[in-house]
Amino acid sequence: MEEAEAKAPPASLLKDIVTAYRRNRLATLGAAVVVTLVLMAMFAPMLSPYDPFEIDLDLMTQAPSHAHWLGTDQFGRDLLTRIMFGTRISLWIGIVPTVLSMALGTALGLIGGFYGGWIDTAIMRLCDMVLAFPSLLLAMVVMYTLGASLVNIFIALAVVGWAGTARVVRAQVLSLREKEFVEAARAIGVRNRVIMVRHILPNCLPALIVLFTLGIPGAIMSEATLSFLGVGAQPPTPSWGLIITSGKEYLFSAPWIAIAPGVFILITVLAFNFMGDGFRDALDPHMKQ
Amino acid sequence: MKRFILKRLLISIPILIGITVIIFFMLNVVPGDPVALMMKEHISVDVVARVRAQMHLDDPAIVRYFRFLGGALHGDLGESYKLNRPVTSLILHAFPNTLVLALWAALFAWVVGIPAGILSAVKKYSLPDNLFMGFSLLGVSMPIFWSALLFQWGFAVRLGWLPVAGFGGWKFVIMPAIVLGWSSAGIIARLTRSSLLEVMGNDYIRTARAKGLHELPVIFGHALKNALLPVVTVMAIQVAGLLAGAVVTESVFNIPGVGRIAVDAIQARDMPLLQGAVLFETVLVILGNLAADILYAFIDPRIKVS
Amino acid sequence: MDTGLIFQRTHARKRWPAMLLSLGVILAGACAVGAGAAEKVLTMAYNEEPQTSDMQMNTNDYMIPLNVYDRLIECVTTAPGKSALVPGLATKWEVSKDGKVYTFHLRKGVKFQNGEELTAKDVVYTFDRMLDPATKALNTDILDFVAGAPERMAGKAPGTSGLKELDKYTVQITLENAFVPFLAIMASPQASILNEKFTRPLGGKYGQTAESTCGTGAFMMKEWVLNDHHTLVANPGYWRGRPQIDRFVLKIVKDAETMRLLFEAGEIDLFDCDFAVSQIPYFTASPKWSKQIVSGPRAGIYYYSFNQKLKPFDDVRVRKAFQMAIDRRQILEKMYYNQGQLENGILPVGLIDYNPAQPKIEYNPAMAKQLLAQAGYPNGVDMEIATIAGKGPQWQKMGEIVQAMVMKSGFRVKLAQMDEAAFFATRKEGKLPMYSNVWSADFNDPDNFFYTFFGPKGTVARSFNNLDPAVYAALDQGRSETNLAKRAKLYNDLEKKLIVDQAVWVPMFSMKHLYVVQPKVKKFVVPWNGWSDFPIYDARVQ
Repeated sequence: MEEAEAKAPPASLLKDIVTAYRRNRLATLGAAVVVTLVLMAMFAPMLSPYDPFEIDLDLMTQAPSHAHWLGTDQFGRDLLTRIMFGTRISLWIGIVPTVLSMALGTALGLIGGFYGGWIDTAIMRLCDMVLAFPSLLLAMVVMYTLGASLVNIFIALAVVGWAGTARVVRAQVLSLREKEFVEAARAIGVRNRVIMVRHILPNCLPALIVLFTLGIPGAIMSEATLSFLGVGAQPPTPSWGLIITSGKEYLFSAPWIAIAPGVFILITVLAFNFMGDGFRDALDPHMKQ
Repeated sequence: MKRFILKRLLISIPILIGITVIIFFMLNVVPGDPVALMMKEHISVDVVARVRAQMHLDDPAIVRYFRFLGGALHGDLGESYKLNRPVTSLILHAFPNTLVLALWAALFAWVVGIPAGILSAVKKYSLPDNLFMGFSLLGVSMPIFWSALLFQWGFAVRLGWLPVAGFGGWKFVIMPAIVLGWSSAGIIARLTRSSLLEVMGNDYIRTARAKGLHELPVIFGHALKNALLPVVTVMAIQVAGLLAGAVVTESVFNIPGVGRIAVDAIQARDMPLLQGAVLFETVLVILGNLAADILYAFIDPRIKVS
Repeated sequence: MDTGLIFQRTHARKRWPAMLLSLGVILAGACAVGAGAAEKVLTMAYNEEPQTSDMQMNTNDYMIPLNVYDRLIECVTTAPGKSALVPGLATKWEVSKDGKVYTFHLRKGVKFQNGEELTAKDVVYTFDRMLDPATKALNTDILDFVAGAPERMAGKAPGTSGLKELDKYTVQITLENAFVPFLAIMASPQASILNEKFTRPLGGKYGQTAESTCGTGAFMMKEWVLNDHHTLVANPGYWRGRPQIDRFVLKIVKDAETMRLLFEAGEIDLFDCDFAVSQIPYFTASPKWSKQIVSGPRAGIYYYSFNQKLKPFDDVRVRKAFQMAIDRRQILEKMYYNQGQLENGILPVGLIDYNPAQPKIEYNPAMAKQLLAQAGYPNGVDMEIATIAGKGPQWQKMGEIVQAMVMKSGFRVKLAQMDEAAFFATRKEGKLPMYSNVWSADFNDPDNFFYTFFGPKGTVARSFNNLDPAVYAALDQGRSETNLAKRAKLYNDLEKKLIVDQAVWVPMFSMKHLYVVQPKVKKFVVPWNGWSDFPIYDARVQ
């Protein structure tokens, strides 16, 4: 029984996921929306006849119409086009920092949990420090230090986010470390690094998948908030958060500028949340009824 | 128990010191001169140089850091560069505002979240369940500044029921508390629901039901107590999180609390004030986590505090 | 289900007391409102917490000082865009022939808010306090030229030799050199007069609370909640007569959109359209607000800077090319809704010695391209424009429009957003790339424009780096030239040289200042200098 559990081959994992998704309509819906967004991001230039960067002062803040489905923004640019191009930015902002923070967190969690001792203590204290620091302020300070740019946002969000993953991974490692299959591997003489990557890591996969899917919307929302505070993406980047922030002053005269991107954020975040719930249902043994 | 608390508090000290180091050296690296910023358009380089010298801003970083640390260990966090007032008094004046906001937000989260979660679990997959869970999801899916803006526009300007921003009486707290507490309410609702469902699926509950005991006492007597265990611990952490994280809400609704002070301090490169605000919030988070752990140990006697 | 019944039963029993309580609260509230109905209150928003009412320590936020203190001379808005210097705390003054000695005769019987009478001692104390190093004042530059000032500021003298108390109501100020703008400077808020008896014992704590503020002005500070609001009440013993407005509330609102929402909800009485320029068409088209717009010209000029230490703007041909690469008229029309006029010099309309006959800068992208090629950039050139993140969306917007416009002439603009602190620190070092801003007159004198940007220290501190000793010499001469006709010619010639020969900046336009007011505001005059700070003594509220 333990052996089979320990290996957790990808095939059975996938099967669990697909089964759960079949039962969970919301999760499937979420996945469908995410796929649509990815497609929109990839094919944005082909989907729209407008240029998201070209300014036309004669078309400023026009209401939604046949020509401009979501109207135009304060520079006369078609809003829907801007939002579609913004999908790329948002997906990058969602994925890259999450990948970075999870890579960092997983690595540190594995190392700390496996080796224990002072390494573990040091990593855990660092974790505590990062988790105790108000995350938004930490991100702001990092952005001020590095300067406002997209790449720096990735770094800032990664710096703020790794600690949560590290904690979870470490907990997993601690519970698995004493299991028989690990001892057996050690007895044979398998190197520590191999044990960590080949045997322990796959067992963390379910938790990591859930964390990943739920980390993406968090990153998207964080960037929107950072833009609101003035340390996010730079104009004329069509980041959704930046469009909302720039549309604030037009709330009365051209509310679509601030509302539309917010709706897109809402839909994207919901979609990823549904997907994450689907994964959790599939992979968390407690939920099996 | 006492030893546990003491140990945790002792561990917190290096964490706090580490944080002051991070802030200090980051703000040193960031370009920005608090005095030039204060003068803005009416800058005079002579005045800037003179005032900087008087404030000892050009001393080496290490010297300034230990000067600050020495004062901090005596309880003196120095004076704000921009506001020229002692940092401790500024934060103590702002804290009650943040506290009121956070407590009302937490209250909203619990009063709405827990019953919603219970109802959803009991009436699983029905319309109320879907509505409540939808409401919860909405809470965690909207950027706070966006929902705040919509609330302000709808309730304050269009309907005129509530003031747009500011702080003064109960009317000023309603919108910020709801905006801030919505996501917490959502989390609590979902957690209560899943926790209750899990407990209700347990063997001993099924046994009680099979024995024919009436549904209601079964739920409230046995299941709820166990189900609320994880919820309670999350609540303690949430309060600390709300206290520390009301930054955006305070900015949008113009509430003069600690979060606003922190953001202003970063923008003004006001080192002493930023240190004070961040340390304060960090202490709250640490205390909140500690309280959560203690609560957990109390409620579940099976857990050993180690 | 049964759960529902349980909730209902417990709540029904508790409902009556709660309802009675809320009814009582509502009634009490109504009484309170009724009692205050006769009071005339003006509520305004302010986008920065002044943090002190001590005007010697604050270089920007003058709303409180302009209403709580008085000055020896006052600069009043006499007609839209026009101003005059009138007696304030001084009833008359004489200037010596060499322009160095000023004698002020004080008004008798003026009382400070603590009951003390204004005397020459207070004036001397106030100005000496500014120069006293212990005060760490930021506005010392208004007294730089007073004899003995450098020694006082360096801590080498116990007092300022140029400040003398001749008798109880006469003050004599001696300058090191003649300085023609001195009288105008005495009317600026930094030169407000404090009471010696009240201020000296408070030391560094002066001005941090309502109780520690004391002036002779029309209003007194009643309440001050830091970062939230200030409340001022009418001074019944004001020497010009009690103001019509009973209470003046200044709410601190850092965000422009919140300010706008507050105004729409009726929670503030005045909205400065500078904070939401893009909303001007909304207000002018709205049936509710179009009649409530008050506008007036202002003596302020919008400009784009050139940093002559950063390539490519070290070459005057590139600078002239850029001047021709912006279609200023289109920006004025489309972004600012034609609420102003184009400017071609250093001084804007409304300022003394303004020259309407400045040669006009034309929009000519073809010529701009040619000039660039001549300067060695046949394939165009890269450049940067810096803006402040999060403050003033209009600068950001203008930057993006200009970015698109100048592309046609071959300028490839990169927009660099910085936060405020980094912006001002970089600018102070003289390293900031091009930026745009508006400069409104501190006092009605050409020196306030020319010297600020092109004097030896200012030209570096504002990242222009127009390091030209001939210009410095002309500026010094202008400061001490007492013959007004000669002075005007000097500045006109200097202006032509700076713009046409040296192309030191891109003058954009001067703009009307628009305010929207609630119907209850019956009288409000837009200040001539376009400031957001002004005395409200003359405003009327219903």
